[in-house]
This record gives sequence, C-alpha cells and structure tokens, in this order.
Amino acid sequence: MDAFVELSAELTGFSAEELRSTGLVEQYRGLAGNASHAEIIELWYTGVWRGVIPSPRAYAEGLAWKAVGVAAPGTGAPGFGSWERRPRRSAL
Amino acid sequence: MKAVVVGAGFAGSLIAKVLGDNGFRVLVLEAGAQPDHDEALLRFQTALVKTPLAPYRTTTAAPSSDYLINTGPFDYASPYLRINGGTGTAWTGITPRMHPEDFRTADLGHGRNWPISYDELEPFYRAAEWEIGVAADADEQRQHLPVADGYSYPMHALPRTYLDHVIASVVDGATIDGQELLITGTPQARNGIPVRGYRPDGQLCAGYASCVPICPEQAKYTPHRTQKRWSHNVELRTRCVVNRVHADEFGRVTKVSYQRYEDDTTGTHTRHEEEADVVVLAAHAIENAKLLLMSGLANSSDQVGRNLMDHPALLTWALMPEPIGPFRGPGSTTAIDAFRSGPQRCTRAPFRIEIGNWGWGWSAGSPGSDTAEFVAAGLRGNALRQAVANRVGRQFTLQFEIEQEADPTNRVTLGPGRDALGNPRPSVHYGLSTYVKDGLLDAKRVSDRIFELLRAEDHTSYKPDDERYFEHNGEPLRYWGAGHGGGTHVMGVSPRDSVVDQWQRCWDHPNLYAVGCGSMPSLGTSNPSLTMAALALRTAGHLVSRRVMSAGSELAESAGSRPPP
Repeated sequence: MDAFVELSAELTGFSAEELRSTGLVEQYRGLAGNASHAEIIELWYTGVWRGVIPSPRAYAEGLAWKAVGVAAPGTGAPGFGSWERRPRRSAL
Repeated sequence: MKAVVVGAGFAGSLIAKVLGDNGFRVLVLEAGAQPDHDEALLRFQTALVKTPLAPYRTTTAAPSSDYLINTGPFDYASPYLRINGGTGTAWTGITPRMHPEDFRTADLGHGRNWPISYDELEPFYRAAEWEIGVAADADEQRQHLPVADGYSYPMHALPRTYLDHVIASVVDGATIDGQELLITGTPQARNGIPVRGYRPDGQLCAGYASCVPICPEQAKYTPHRTQKRWSHNVELRTRCVVNRVHADEFGRVTKVSYQRYEDDTTGTHTRHEEEADVVVLAAHAIENAKLLLMSGLANSSDQVGRNLMDHPALLTWALMPEPIGPFRGPGSTTAIDAFRSGPQRCTRAPFRIEIGNWGWGWSAGSPGSDTAEFVAAGLRGNALRQAVANRVGRQFTLQFEIEQEADPTNRVTLGPGRDALGNPRPSVHYGLSTYVKDGLLDAKRVSDRIFELLRAEDHTSYKPDDERYFEHNGEPLRYWGAGHGGGTHVMGVSPRDSVVDQWQRCWDHPNLYAVGCGSMPSLGTSNPSLTMAALALRTAGHLVSRRVMSAGSELAESAGSRPPP
C-alpha cells in the first residue's frame, strides 16, 4: 500500500490509478510527502507547489482540468472544430 | 532606395515585405531578441500566471512594457512586447474591421476624425485579410459592416463554440434598449478551411485554447509568417535599439543611431549608425512616441505622445445553467456588435461584446481560484472534484471592449528614469474620461440584462482592493487593459494638430514615417491589429508609387539629404 497515493486519492477524489497515470506520483511524493492536506490538493489540482510550477507535466496534468474534462490550455489538441460539440459529462 | 524600418512587429514586417518586393533595400532594426517557439511554450506551461508576456524571453537592454512609469490618475494597463515579431507574437488573433462610424468620431461628439474614410481603407482591409489569413464569412460580416460585393475572406469562418450556440439560441432576436441582439462570428487570424485560391500558411487550428499568448500549433498568424516571405532585399538585425533619428536642416531624415547588444542580461552594447533614404518607425505606439521625443522630431504640432488610447475592457462573468465546455478552442469566436454604433455613442462610449470562451481564466483566475475556494471551504475527495467540475464547466465571461476617445492629456513623455542602455523610460499619464466611464457603466448594465436573458448566475464582483478598481456614479467598476495602445503620433488633415498625414508620413519630415496603431485617431471598438495592417499596406503602396514617381530625381534627392562631409 502506498500511503501517499492513498491519501492523495482520498483528498482529490481521483483514484490511485488516475493519479499514477499522471506520472507525477514520485515527484509529488518528494515535494509534498509531509505537506498539509490543502497543499497536497493544490499541487495535484493546479500543479503549483508553494508558488512554483515544478514541471510542464505538473501543469498539463492538473486535476482541475481533468475534473472539467478538458486539457490544460496549450497542452492538448482536441482537433479543429471540436469546440463546437456539446461537452461530455465528466465521469465521477 | 534604402529604407530603414524600426521594429519587426506587425506593421514593420508588412511594410518591409512590400518594399523589398519592389526593389527597395530594406534594413529592419528590431530592439528585441529572436523568440524561440519551443522555449516559449515551456515557459508558458511553467509560468504561474499566464500573462501575455510570460512565455517570451525579454532582454535587459530592451525592456518590454513593464518599464513604463505610470503617473496619471489611472494605470495604463496594457502590455507590449519588444521581441522579433513584436506584440503580434503574443496577440489573440482577433481581426474585426472598424465600423464606418469609427472614422468620424469627432463628428459624433468625441475624439477625432480620420483623414480617410472606411471606404478608402476597405480595399486595404481586404488586402490585409489575405496577407494575414483571416477566417470569416463575408455575408455574416455584412450584417453590421459594409464588405465589398463578391468578396471572400481567404478562409471560411471558424466553427462557433458550443457556448456560442447556446447563447445565440437565447439572445438572438432579443432586444436591449431597442437594440436587437445578434451573435455574430468574429473574424479570426487563425487557420480554418481555405476558400479556393488560398493556401493557408501553417497548420489548421487544433483547439489548444492558448492562442494568447502562444499557439503551440502556430495556426495563428504572427509577423514571423510575413518575415518568411521577405525577399532577399530585406535584412533583419535583432538586438538593435534605435535611439535617435537624425534630420538635416531642411527636415529630411538622414540616418538613425542604434545600440547593438549581444548579452540579454546586461546593458553592454556598441553604437552604430545607418544612413537611409526613408525611415519607417514601426516600434509600437509608445516606443514610436518615445523615439520621436528622444530625437526631437516631428513635433511641431505638440501632439507626439498625446492622445494615448487603449480599450479599457470590462469583464463580467457568470455560470450558465448547464455545462458548456469552456477552455476548448479559441478564446472568443463570436461577439454582439449591436452596441458598437448608433446614436447612443454620442452620450457614452460604444462597446463591442466578446463572448469569452475561456471560463473565468482572465477575469478571476479559474480554475485555480475555484479550487482554492472549495478547499478553503473544507471540500475534499469526490465532493471537491464534483464542485470544480460543476463550477468550471459552466463558466463564461463577457468581454466588453470600450472605446476610448483621443484625449491630448493622455500622454507619453520621457520619464526621469533611464533603462540599461541609458535611454529614457517612457512615462505615461493616463486617465478615463466621463465618456469612457459612462460606457463602462452602461456595459455593466447591458451585461446584467444579458445574464438575465440567459438565466446565468452572475458572479461578477469588483472590490476596492482589486487592481484598477474605481467607482462611477456610486457604482463599483473595474477595467482591464486590452493591449491596444494607439494614438501617440496621430494622423490628421493638418500639420497644425496632427503628427502624420493620411499616409503615416510625418508632416515635418518628408521621408520619415511613423506607422502602427499610434497613427490611429480613434480605435473604435475593434481589436486594432487588422486596421494597423491595412494602414501599413496602404503606406507601403504609397512609398512604392512615390519612388516610381520620383525615380528621375531620386539620386539628386538622396544626395542632397546627406549631411555635409
């Protein structure tokens, strides 16, 4: 059992599998292993750690964007005209 | 014929191209460095606040707008970028034409008239739209503007956002203050489906949703595209800061002085001069004014640096009843144009209403701000995830671009401080007139009505500790800078009260041109880059025809313009 991942999953509402798929678990464990719950959530949701975005991936994998079901701006190309479609309901 | 162009942004790149294509030898001196696209993308992604300038490498020797000194009652809030490509590297890529009324704003009671009409500029709008690559539908634009018969934009209008469709389904045909509302497509300088005979330069817009400040796909026009089409007659030198234009005793410009630097982190530089038969200043409205003031040129009217305008933008933000999928595709693909023109503009500044597709990103820092709010309220786990999805998924913003009239007291002067090269920092004295404030207030009232029509939940709030907060008639208001600086070397019909003539030629100097938004006597309510481009092409054509006309006397003319040995 990975205590950091379990705690992160409980705090963020994203499964351990979803968190691991970001590729950021090891980096975030190193940064936020002993941080407050609010700081851990902020890191996962926005990619910001104490006023700094530690890597482009941290920005791109921000869970706030995933909660909405869109790519972080400047990181994903959904394709010409994709913006015209009704948004899909984000799966909870 | 040797031309020196100062500034490799929108206007400078376009003029250099036309001159180079027509046999001029052209040297373009750019103050900033060459941007690196991959580096800029990386810097964008890791920038905490994704401001328009955040991705771009700036240099100590040629600072961008953050070196302005504000001295007026309001802060001039619009950034500009000194880099190869200029602010056109970071621009949003929205290209509406000005309204015909906008060319005679003085007749309508505020500001100044243009020396040319919409009809005179219209062919150059078409030329600029083809040079830049604009996606729009001519019939749709004709609903609020005259567009030449038989004309096609080079690309079909971009698809609207889902948000646009939802809003149009409610507001189209409704009226506010007797104005019928209609959601209209906004012309875009990003690649869509071409019409026959047009080959887009670059990739199709893929919906990255970061047009300003950087399109990862490079589907948005930037001046670098025009630079790729320069002939061999055009030479670009970056990291060259022109700090003086010299004229002889007859007013003819003879040469420019510039400071060249290699190191981006210091002010270390070498000094150079370049002779020219014609000099074109295309360094941005504020930088052009600064350079004219530093050179002591073109100012017999005392108008250099005056009439500084921008679009003070009002943002209002709300939640739609259902998810609309923000942060997908371009920042704004439609607008409401009903308040751009008409008799009301005699009493309050007119405005254009952009439908903002990037949630509350600009207005309120979403989604980071929403997350922080919910976390502070104790939400965790699924409740947090659901709250963010429910909030952000329904966000939209209305972006009102308010006209600001030319006012000689809004002014750029040379400030007391010096930059790293020893050149004066620009000082800006900026304010908002009652006319502008009345426009902002009316925009807020119209916003309230639109939100009612949409049954949208209004979350707009302006607080005294917000930047650029003020009150007008007891109502809280706030403005944002749109990045649309203009007016500082204003164009007119007389050398007594304007700096340049209709060709953007300085009245005081027959071979000195000051081009760009600084020449515009009014900004109307449209993003000004397209109008700047149309004016640049018109000036370039004038320069070419003038050279042809004076071909016989050219040698004698340029010999006479040289300083005595």
